[in-house]
Amino acid sequence: MAIGKRDGQAEPDVLRRAGEASVLILVSLADGPKHGYALIQDIKELAGVELGPGTLYGALDRLERLGLIESLPADDRRHPYQITRPGAAALRVHLDSLERVSAAGRLRLQLGGI
Amino acid sequence: MDGPPAPRLVHTVLRCYPARWRRRHGDEAAELAALLIRDGTPAAAVAGSYLAGAGREWLTPRPGRRVSAVACALLVAAGALGVSTGLLASAGPARAASTSRASTHCRPSSPATVPALTPDRGQPRLVIPAAAHGRSC
Repeated sequence: MAIGKRDGQAEPDVLRRAGEASVLILVSLADGPKHGYALIQDIKELAGVELGPGTLYGALDRLERLGLIESLPADDRRHPYQITRPGAAALRVHLDSLERVSAAGRLRLQLGGI
Repeated sequence: MDGPPAPRLVHTVLRCYPARWRRRHGDEAAELAALLIRDGTPAAAVAGSYLAGAGREWLTPRPGRRVSAVACALLVAAGALGVSTGLLASAGPARAASTSRASTHCRPSSPATVPALTPDRGQPRLVIPAAAHGRSC
């Protein structure tokens, strides 16, 4: 399991094997609560990925079980979701890990002259 | 914002989810499907996504799902048994026919007509029963 380092403490990257949909949902919820339809629209805009509704609900349930998001009281029939503190921390660790990999990849591409 | 009603196909697929999931997400999922279809997503794609999601939902272990899991396993087992029985039943007559044909074909018609050892002019002559009645088994 990948380990992220923040404030000298090693934090496990719990999103490493969570799947792309889970990460995209957390990124989308990072700026405020959203319900299913808003999540799908936002993820389509920010990443160009069209999440299927079945995939969306599966990822929402998984993230909620992990305590990374929570459901807010229903607005009409729709449940808005919001990211929790552990969810935000997990997202930071994962994004840091992606940044390290991305930087290493770019550097190696430069060194390799490809 | 109330969207148009989701097509019947989506409602049918949503019934494939466990009851707990339907209680929690059912209405919202139907509304979301209607909105996506209104935006131009094909109804079949929406239904397909929900169908795959329902499969994953049933396969995900949950506390308290033991009874359902057992019922599901029994249903699958019963289905498999039904298919096996059906296959056996359909293959049975053909196999029975081929068995009876083979046995009549392989059996010498009568020990008297195909003697293993036939005295001929005082010398014993070996008769191979297989050659005697032309069987090929």
